Amino acid sequence: MTQEPSLLAVQEALKKCFPVVKEQQGFWQSTLNDCQPLLTSLRNLAEQLQATQNLRFEEVPALRAFPDLKERLKRKQLSAGDTILDKLLERLADLLKVRDTVSSQVEQVLQIYKQHADTIGIDAVLQASAVSPSVADMLEWLQDIERHYRHSYLKRKYLLSSIHWGDLASIQALPRAWDRVLEDEHQDRVQDTLLSVSFFLEE
Amino acid sequence: MAPDSGPFPEGPLLKLLPLEAKDLGTQRCRLGPAALRALGAHLGSAVRISLPDGGSCLCTAWPRRDGADGFVQLDALCCSPGAAVRAPGLRGTLRLNQLRLVPCPPLRRLTVWPVLREPDSAPGTPSPAAVLEAAQELLRNRPVSRGLVVAAPPGAPGPVAALHVIGGAPDPEPAGLVTPRTSISLGREPPAEAEPRPPVPLGGLSEAADSLRELLRLPLLYPRALAALGLAVPRGVLLSGPPGVGKTQLVRAVAGEAGAELLAVSAPALQGSRPGETEENVRRVFQRARELARRGPALLFLDELDALCPRRGGAHRAPESRAVAQVLTLLDGVDGDRDVVVVAATNRPDALDPALRRPGRLDREVVIGTPTLKQRKAILQVITAKMPICSQVDLDLLADMTVGYVGADLSALCREAAMHALLHSEKNQDNPVIDQTDFLEAFKKIQPSSFRSAIGLMDIKPLDWDQIGGLEDVKLKLKQSIEWPLKYPQEFVRMGLTQPKGLLLYGPPGCAKTTLVRALATSCHCSFVSVSGADLFSPFVGDSEKVLSQVFQQARAHTPAIVFLDEIDSILGSRSVGKTECDVHERVLSVLLNELDGVGLRSTERRGNKSEQQDFQEVLNRSVMIVAATNRPDVLDDALLRPGRIDKIIYIPPPDEKGRLSILKVCTKNMPLESDVSLADLAAETCFFSGADLTNLCKEAALLALQEDGLDTATVKQEHFLKSLKTVKPSLSHKDLTLYENLFQKQDFADLEDI
Repeated sequence: MTQEPSLLAVQEALKKCFPVVKEQQGFWQSTLNDCQPLLTSLRNLAEQLQATQNLRFEEVPALRAFPDLKERLKRKQLSAGDTILDKLLERLADLLKVRDTVSSQVEQVLQIYKQHADTIGIDAVLQASAVSPSVADMLEWLQDIERHYRHSYLKRKYLLSSIHWGDLASIQALPRAWDRVLEDEHQDRVQDTLLSVSFFLEE
Repeated sequence: MAPDSGPFPEGPLLKLLPLEAKDLGTQRCRLGPAALRALGAHLGSAVRISLPDGGSCLCTAWPRRDGADGFVQLDALCCSPGAAVRAPGLRGTLRLNQLRLVPCPPLRRLTVWPVLREPDSAPGTPSPAAVLEAAQELLRNRPVSRGLVVAAPPGAPGPVAALHVIGGAPDPEPAGLVTPRTSISLGREPPAEAEPRPPVPLGGLSEAADSLRELLRLPLLYPRALAALGLAVPRGVLLSGPPGVGKTQLVRAVAGEAGAELLAVSAPALQGSRPGETEENVRRVFQRARELARRGPALLFLDELDALCPRRGGAHRAPESRAVAQVLTLLDGVDGDRDVVVVAATNRPDALDPALRRPGRLDREVVIGTPTLKQRKAILQVITAKMPICSQVDLDLLADMTVGYVGADLSALCREAAMHALLHSEKNQDNPVIDQTDFLEAFKKIQPSSFRSAIGLMDIKPLDWDQIGGLEDVKLKLKQSIEWPLKYPQEFVRMGLTQPKGLLLYGPPGCAKTTLVRALATSCHCSFVSVSGADLFSPFVGDSEKVLSQVFQQARAHTPAIVFLDEIDSILGSRSVGKTECDVHERVLSVLLNELDGVGLRSTERRGNKSEQQDFQEVLNRSVMIVAATNRPDVLDDALLRPGRIDKIIYIPPPDEKGRLSILKVCTKNMPLESDVSLADLAAETCFFSGADLTNLCKEAALLALQEDGLDTATVKQEHFLKSLKTVKPSLSHKDLTLYENLFQKQDFADLEDI
């Protein structure tokens, strides 16, 4: 390892940044896990709503006794749905927090690199050793991770904002669409990156 | 970090490789360490790259994973407007000096103009707030530059497809970095089109292009004037013309020039297998066109419309009728005004449903015919403009030779010439130059496409005038009436001569009538159509007439042309002689009379520009001449033989002694003759021999020589000729000849006596 002070500074920054990413990734994952049951209940609710719409209340003798049952039921279901949606939006806000934290961390590291870039030189940045990847690689990974968080947050946000109660079929398909977002993005990228830098962090 | 002073003054070559999937949407530019050093770039520095095709793009520099030098991969996410489309297919090489490191200060403010995605299902514009947020997300942490377009990476969510960078503070020129603290605003005005797109050169289609252009531009240029006049602008054009004249090309070029969105649909592709599927497809296409029209000028192009809209009526055609009706109603615009310009193209305008061809639906009809001489030259000029052709190539000559070629044929010709130059010239493989011989070689290979399905077009074994013995004055007359008008049009115009329409050759059988026509076809460069009874007659009533009329139609498309009717007496009957009932011969005759001297041409056969003053060459090149040959001129109809139809009647006499001598010379040219053979004596002795008889005589003599002297004999002797002269009898007689010779004189005398 080069003992140049400026390179050391960048490496220090990296060493500080990756643990934060690791911690945030755990947080992100748990938030996503929390969303799963909410989505399922949202789907169930949509199914109930659908059933309510299909049922003709005036033709069921037992239900005739209750006036405007249909409207009441619908209101109840919708308010329940709104509650779930509110919870989902809270989770989304948590995801946003993760994203912002990671973004600011990555930006700091890049800033530090930029300050020292002139003195470090390109060769030192490209140098990798058995235990540590090159600084260039690590910076690139950090950028990728940051982009990954931004991208997947945005996708989920658009997914949720596309929901409206007039379109029950899309709500019923929501868990699957959510899963598809998970499949689309390279789930393991963050984990892989963290593994590749583990020796570097322990150093 | 000093720049490399390599062996190349402009910097080393970098090979442009396609991007790795991982880097899509990252705006990275992967470089080798040497290139990074030479540029003095850090990780993530902004690099402005001039692309090989004229655009430029802005990327961030990153090292290649494998550390190899001499390659570059770039993600052209932020590039100049035109380049975005071509970016995925980027290939080639870059020089290092095409890459430039630019300072990239963080921006405080940035103004962009969003290009929205087309809504997939529900139409409706997203709110400005949502657009702004999407723009912020898209631009975050990216270097941008004024005048460039940032495209949304594929698969990214959001309503924004691309962002034009208009300006900001500090001015993002050459580059500026968008940070989370940059305040982004949406521009009010769309950025001005950088430069008007250069007009696509179109050879010889200016008239048709003008009328299309007018349709597209009028509503854009004078919207208020048109509204004040209370006019609905014509919004439909039907282009018709033979295949390959450039209908599709024309539409594409005009749409590109006017900056209109072009939705090109081939009508057969709309056909569905299930009932109602076709109509559904048609509706979908029109809906899409309407969506496009809402955003700017749009043009819906229906190619090969005859497949979609055939004539209605008739049994078992209900599905087609439904599709036609759907097109009609959509063209009328049931729901409100139609704001899409519809251009339809077909090469069979007669097969279209007549209801389509009225104002309000397809308002105008533009007929694009087979190109004329001048148009062909224009087309050739356009095609060869980008080819490295030798300065000695004579485009005039080429245009003159390529009778009946349409635009597609001409481009095939040029391609073939280029291929020939590439494959057959060893002189300079790297930068081949196409010269005249290449074009001539290609000309042998490429036949005009309209010839492929033509009736009666012949491959003629070329024959020179010299290969026909004798008949000097006949040859001269033929040349006068056919070759001269084609070769010396100025002189003809000066003397106030019109071109003869037709020519009748008559004479006893075997006197080289057909051979003369062959020589004629060889010597003048024009299309040659030969029609015989076999082509014409068919068991169906009316078919023969149609075929003959089609022959003339083709010939007119390929002017100058010669239509040759051999044994015309068997094809045509005579109305004046004998029977009274109307049989097929007479109907064919009446068709021929009409074609020769009819009122005019059908409007679908129009060629060239009708408005322009045509110069004499074009006028003279327009005509179709018929050449008929017969040995029974007495049975021909009088109406056919009058001037204006068949102007010139040329008697081809049997050869006289001098003629026979030259025929014999021609016949024995390939024959080894003994020195005692005297052709002059033979010529003197062969009175009443026709050319065919003389050929036969020579053949017999040669066979006799083989028979008598054994198979290994080397020469034919005089005695063989004399012996065979005894067996071969002349086919002509004095009686026949006087009949021919007096035929036309006699009639004249008879007429005179009547008066």
